[in-house]
Amino acid sequence: MPEKNIDFGKFGASGIKGSDAVARQLDRLAGHIATPVTVKRGLMARLHYLTTSDRAWQAAKDAGLAVSDRTLKAWMQGTRRPSKANLERIDAAYRAVRRRNVARHLTARLNREGRGTRVEIHPLDQSGVARQLQRVVAHRTMNVRRWDKIVGSWAAGDHQGLDEAWTADVLPDLGSQWGQYEYVKNIGFAA
Amino acid sequence: MSDFDAIDSLLDAVGHEAELPPHQVRRELRERARLSKAQVARALGVSPSTLSGWEGGRDPAGEARTKYAYLLDGLNAKLATEIEAEPAEEQPVAAVTSTSSPVPGQDEDDVELLAVPEPCVLCGRPAEQRVAGFAQHLDPSDCQTTPVETPKPPPTAPSVQAQEPRTAHSPRPAGRKDTVPRGRAFQESSGPADLIHEAVHAALAEHRGDVEAASAVLLKRAIPDAMRLLDETRKGARYDVIAHPQIPDILRKQTSKGADQIWEARPKWTRTELPPGKHEVTALDINGAYLSALKTHLPLGQLEHSTGFAHDRRRAGVHLITPPAWDHDAVLPNPIGQRDEPGPLWVTEPTLRLLLRLSGPKHRLCKPPEIHESYTSGATENLLEKFRIALKDARDTAIADGDELTLEYVKAMYSKFVSTMGESNYNRELYRPDWMHIIRSQAFANLWMKALKAHDASLTVVRAMGTDELHVIGDWRRVFPEGRSVTEVKVKDAYSAGTDAEAGTGEEQ
Repeated sequence: MPEKNIDFGKFGASGIKGSDAVARQLDRLAGHIATPVTVKRGLMARLHYLTTSDRAWQAAKDAGLAVSDRTLKAWMQGTRRPSKANLERIDAAYRAVRRRNVARHLTARLNREGRGTRVEIHPLDQSGVARQLQRVVAHRTMNVRRWDKIVGSWAAGDHQGLDEAWTADVLPDLGSQWGQYEYVKNIGFAA
Repeated sequence: MSDFDAIDSLLDAVGHEAELPPHQVRRELRERARLSKAQVARALGVSPSTLSGWEGGRDPAGEARTKYAYLLDGLNAKLATEIEAEPAEEQPVAAVTSTSSPVPGQDEDDVELLAVPEPCVLCGRPAEQRVAGFAQHLDPSDCQTTPVETPKPPPTAPSVQAQEPRTAHSPRPAGRKDTVPRGRAFQESSGPADLIHEAVHAALAEHRGDVEAASAVLLKRAIPDAMRLLDETRKGARYDVIAHPQIPDILRKQTSKGADQIWEARPKWTRTELPPGKHEVTALDINGAYLSALKTHLPLGQLEHSTGFAHDRRRAGVHLITPPAWDHDAVLPNPIGQRDEPGPLWVTEPTLRLLLRLSGPKHRLCKPPEIHESYTSGATENLLEKFRIALKDARDTAIADGDELTLEYVKAMYSKFVSTMGESNYNRELYRPDWMHIIRSQAFANLWMKALKAHDASLTVVRAMGTDELHVIGDWRRVFPEGRSVTEVKVKDAYSAGTDAEAGTGEEQ
């Protein structure tokens, strides 16, 4: 695709990939447990979430939390604390399971029976770019109607797929200037 | 030689100013000709607001004046001939006694035959002739509603024609005047305020007049309804409401239940000592404090960081300032509120503007604050103005009608709108913690200015608390009008305090 940026930031622009901004906003909408996993309260909340049902526990195992029932019991009773590596695994597994659980509901909310959701795109930050190289990049809004692929790849943790769904399917609707919005400061939408 | 010509023409121009009719007549002429301000302004090469000025009493000068005088002259002549044309035309019609063929009694060149029928200015149906620039029916039988200026066969003698159009076969001549407001074409009759009434009526109808149930439903719907009303009021507006900008870290909550770093300057002040003697204290309540606070300078877009001391009046946001020392704590609250720790703090635009105002030449109550850093964006005061007016009108109507249900609903709409426009999960459509802080601070600043007003009118301010509570000693009715409208205050409580100078006042309440 000719509009894609090859060497973003060469002249000092800063921003994040549009798909990362979308994932960030979806994470915000998914409403994760706010307390960090390093605190006991946060750890317990995550463990309870992962052990509500056998299906949830299986999903956690699929997401890479491979511990024995004995260890889990010790963690839950507080007799042992997970190691640092395991804490990270618990958090990652929690995120994956949570995303998978909310994906269907979130897709329905965002699709709104085909009416779609209005998305605000805040353009990249040019404050680090030399004056003569700065370009006018306006704030844009667009309506995105089909969210299935976007939310699906976000829930599966598939960065590549999310980037493809966003950059190849959604962004070109902005018109011939869409390459300017491949990297952005923020993307906002409500669900 | 040409030099002298130029001087001659200059001399000619001096002292000769075109005559203009008085300003009421200017507007009337334009409206009678059904010209919009924009049309006239374009023809004259000035802006519509300049034209408003001329119609409001200001006088143009120079070339613009000449042009304007020419236009008004022309309009005057046109409208005069049109009125004169009426009797002039009717004599022949009367003589022939109603023919269906157009018999123009006026100048032939004023009547044009139109190839494509245009809507008649009088009845709106297609007409094939244009008279003096306006498409209209020449035969009144084609015209359904009889206009004043339209020629018509007089059933009586021509001498009584003057009153005739009112009494003749026009079904509702007065009604027609009302349905076509002068000079205001294509105005929507239903405003955003109708949304509020419709919602209330629908809820009442759904619950068959059960006010309790309807009220519960309406309160539940208040936030989405407020967002819908906001959308409605921003139709065709200049600025978009940007709902999801990137928020700087100072505006983010530190923890899930914690607060961010913004100081809203909420007043919480009680006078340390009363003047000696016993006093009657009145606790006043400011009506709709948050509703009035919707009129404030709101940043439109992404907040941008800047450092330095300058304050740009066209931008708004949050600022890191070192507040000035406050020496009047004995009689007036500190405008930055009850701050315990010293040092710089993040305040919002209304607080900063209040401090700048108080440090200005008019008040000189403190030194100007020192601004260190700012996150600002281009600002406007009118972003929520239509929204506020719609809610205020609905509130006023509800109070006048004694309609408690609408009143509750309106109150829920604006208060929940303000409290959930930040990071709340109850309103995800709008994610502007900066606006939330700014609107709250504006309410506090408004209360502070009321305290100052009371103080300046030599009332004794005893307490300023929260958004809307002001306790004063003295005859406050000459300062604040009493009532329920947003510009008025109501009495919350009256109590007596202070037997001796040392008695605290807070306990008696």
